[in-house]
Amino acid sequence: MKKHNISLQVNGAVHEVTIQPNKTLLDVLRDELNMPETKYGCGTGECGACTVLVDDQKVINSCLTLAATMDGKSITTAAGLQTADGTLHPVQEAFVENAAVQCGYCTPGMVLKSVGLLKKNPNPSEDEIREWLEGNICRCTGYEKIVTAVQLAGKKIAQADS
Amino acid sequence: MTEFRTVGKSEIKIDVKAKVTGRAVYAADINLPGTLHAKIVRCYEHAHAKVKSLDLSEAAKMPGVVKVFAPEDLTTKFYNQSVIDTMVSEDMRGMLGDIEDQKILTDYVKHYGDGIAAIVATTEEAAERASERIKVEYEPLPVYLNAAESSQQGAVQFTPQKPHNMAFKLPEPAFPNNALGWGDADEGFKEADIIVEDNFYTSKQKQAQMEPNSYIALYDDDGLLSCWTSTQMPKSVQPKIAKLFNLPMSRVRIKQTVVGGGFGARLGMVLEPHICALAMALPGRPIKVQSPREEDWLTSPSRHPGDYWMKMGFKKDGTPVACDAKFVNYKGGYYLDGSGVAFTAGGWVSGLYKFGALRYKGESYFTNQPVCGAYRGYGNPQTNFVLEQLVDRACHELNIDPVEWRKKWHKDVGDDGWCAGIPYASCALDEVLDEGAKAIDWKAKRERYAKQTGVKRRGVGVAVMVHTSGAMPMLLEHTVCTVRLNEDATAVVAFACSDMGQGSHTTLRQIAAETLGFPLEDVSLSVGDSNDAGYDIGAHASRTLYVGGGAVMAACKDALKQLLERAATMLEANPDDLEIEDKQIFVKGSPNRKVSASEICSGGVYPFLNPQTGAPDSIPGQILGYSSFNPMHNSPPFGACFVELEVDTETGEIKLIEMVNGHDIGRAINPAVVEGQLEGGAQQGLGMALTEELYFGTDGKVLNNTFTDYKMLGPSDMPKITNVIIENPDPHGPFGAKSVGEAGLVAPVGATANAIYNAIVIQITELPITPEKILKALNEKHAN
Repeated sequence: MKKHNISLQVNGAVHEVTIQPNKTLLDVLRDELNMPETKYGCGTGECGACTVLVDDQKVINSCLTLAATMDGKSITTAAGLQTADGTLHPVQEAFVENAAVQCGYCTPGMVLKSVGLLKKNPNPSEDEIREWLEGNICRCTGYEKIVTAVQLAGKKIAQADS
Repeated sequence: MTEFRTVGKSEIKIDVKAKVTGRAVYAADINLPGTLHAKIVRCYEHAHAKVKSLDLSEAAKMPGVVKVFAPEDLTTKFYNQSVIDTMVSEDMRGMLGDIEDQKILTDYVKHYGDGIAAIVATTEEAAERASERIKVEYEPLPVYLNAAESSQQGAVQFTPQKPHNMAFKLPEPAFPNNALGWGDADEGFKEADIIVEDNFYTSKQKQAQMEPNSYIALYDDDGLLSCWTSTQMPKSVQPKIAKLFNLPMSRVRIKQTVVGGGFGARLGMVLEPHICALAMALPGRPIKVQSPREEDWLTSPSRHPGDYWMKMGFKKDGTPVACDAKFVNYKGGYYLDGSGVAFTAGGWVSGLYKFGALRYKGESYFTNQPVCGAYRGYGNPQTNFVLEQLVDRACHELNIDPVEWRKKWHKDVGDDGWCAGIPYASCALDEVLDEGAKAIDWKAKRERYAKQTGVKRRGVGVAVMVHTSGAMPMLLEHTVCTVRLNEDATAVVAFACSDMGQGSHTTLRQIAAETLGFPLEDVSLSVGDSNDAGYDIGAHASRTLYVGGGAVMAACKDALKQLLERAATMLEANPDDLEIEDKQIFVKGSPNRKVSASEICSGGVYPFLNPQTGAPDSIPGQILGYSSFNPMHNSPPFGACFVELEVDTETGEIKLIEMVNGHDIGRAINPAVVEGQLEGGAQQGLGMALTEELYFGTDGKVLNNTFTDYKMLGPSDMPKITNVIIENPDPHGPFGAKSVGEAGLVAPVGATANAIYNAIVIQITELPITPEKILKALNEKHAN
């Protein structure tokens, strides 16, 4: 199998990696770059545990994305949302304060998916949040505290911006 | 009310920052140097077959393959992946008929996805590619997908130990006539003015925790077998693995990784035997297995499906004179905890209402389906679906309000609990029902929905439940806890209790801090390695806060007692006259006669000798509190759930509108954790009621082992949720607390069914209640 050289910017750092064309972005993040914060939940784009943020705008399922198509892109994982001094992103803070986390396996993906929503729509309604999160499965919380955490995060971001 | 420092506060959960950044380490995230990758090769051609020939030679030659394994290449000793056998005496084990009927790899396939071979390679991909070169020939056998088929005359026998494929029935003499209950049900029915009776089917629901199964094992140069696993029960898995491989427990170490959800699927073992066997076959190399998501439906235990028949008799005034019931469950291919749900389903009937007489029979039969074991609720949701619908049918016929009937006839303080001989010590169900009814506006809605016309019909339903806090007296209850006081008067609390995400480590830490009188941040936990803490059964039966909390309290009291005794010596006072506040110990009423906890703790760790006298300057010895705790009760929590929904009579679709989940908690140690359990339980209970079921083709192949086809309720499907948490401290629980882990799932099942009954005056007797079943029932009703 012919290998490809690609350049990935992950959480601000540039990585030049040589990969097989059949490797997904999830494979490369976890196995090549040793960044296990992005989770394998189903491998078929059904659960959203592998969600990452691309070019600070768009959220995708990294398990459905061939890494070779990501050449030159900037990827943000859940660990990358935190600043170097340890400050959490407002969405992460809201998840912490609102007890929106139980087993935590869906959480990195859920946090990034929520970040993606708030970038598009800084003040979403409850229904808009619920619909947006449909591709991300949580089996612990019944979604209740996640939905209210996203609302809280929206307020935190608005306050920080004002 | 007593003032608490941390109990009753929604403290931030211990591991939550690591989880929002993704830094929490799950088993799949661990990559030890030199790791090899394993694949378990499964049978996807048949659900019941003998392996006639297995040729691994081509697979062995594939690039990257280190070794291939047929069944006889690993231990062929039988085992049982559940851990119920470790929780009962040998006599009891015999009476329950517990057997070992599983092998790591098999040449007799009993369900779709049974494991027939294993490959270890340098990469996952190499193992996967090699598995395609395995040649296997099968001799297909008839496939049995329910108890009626597998118990018929002439059926292939799954194991010679269980004639007629009957895995279990309630045993004589503990249960005369193989039934549990009281009184004479046949006589009881003679007094009845009305009888309600029906046959129900309850579904094969799957926990579907978000973390797929991943394990690592290493058999190292010192002969130590280490296994990294997200089991709910590390200290019960340790002796099971030791026994399977004939090792002393000193050579088996279970390292519990962060558990990405359990709900019963990780009660006991899943692939721990496999990964440990492979590690022992390849000493010195860490072996890792990452089980694909679709395998989870096939390899870890599900809820028991089955046929549930029930009959109840009532007098005109609502008096329940008798109940007769039988639950025949489909065990799947192997025994596991075959006795458990067959018994408890009846226990939950017996614990709930004051029937004049009760006769419950429970049986388990092998079927060619993936295994059944523990799933949050353990027989209770099945019983709730059946019992609560028939109660509502009787209330409808007798024109009695379902809330009022339940208030009048539920069991209460002093009545026998789910296990005869352990009477209820606390019960706030009346208050839960009253507050819940108020929150959903029960009376007004029932009145309004009685007079509906049109395509869309609203309904509001109620169901109640009782559960347990720990499994005594049927099963062992035991947790060990140690509390070590550091020289700066901070504490390290060590126990083996599991946190599967429910927040138990956080709440146990709150109990420790409250008992010691220390600030929360001065208490740290030592958890996760089977060598670091004493015995604990593991997380099941909603026991962790209740039994673990009891153990933590007792160990902290022991440490505190030692601290106060030393303070008493130093202050020349009686220990009973001392108080601790902000880690200062002083004589009650004389705040100036005081000594700091850190002075005592430091003196214990650093008992420097006085050069003049040769005697220590301080009281020597680091303080270590200890408890080996067995609870004296199982303090059942009660719950009432109200569901409001809308049925589209043209499409059969159901829209959930609102639910009120009421719970008699005893005491909420951490209210946010309690709410999280109720809300998460609701998602699984509502899903069981409406969408969740594993489907099979007639050949036994599983049809929907993916998240797209196994439909769970998503964020938009969930109703508005209101939690009603009633605190009525229980005399036995830590700070009065009772359990909440399983309870939130149970009553939503019956309440949903009863809301549908209220909306369309039809009871659906088969789970899940899909639009197809609603439409069929509506059509049949119109045809009549």
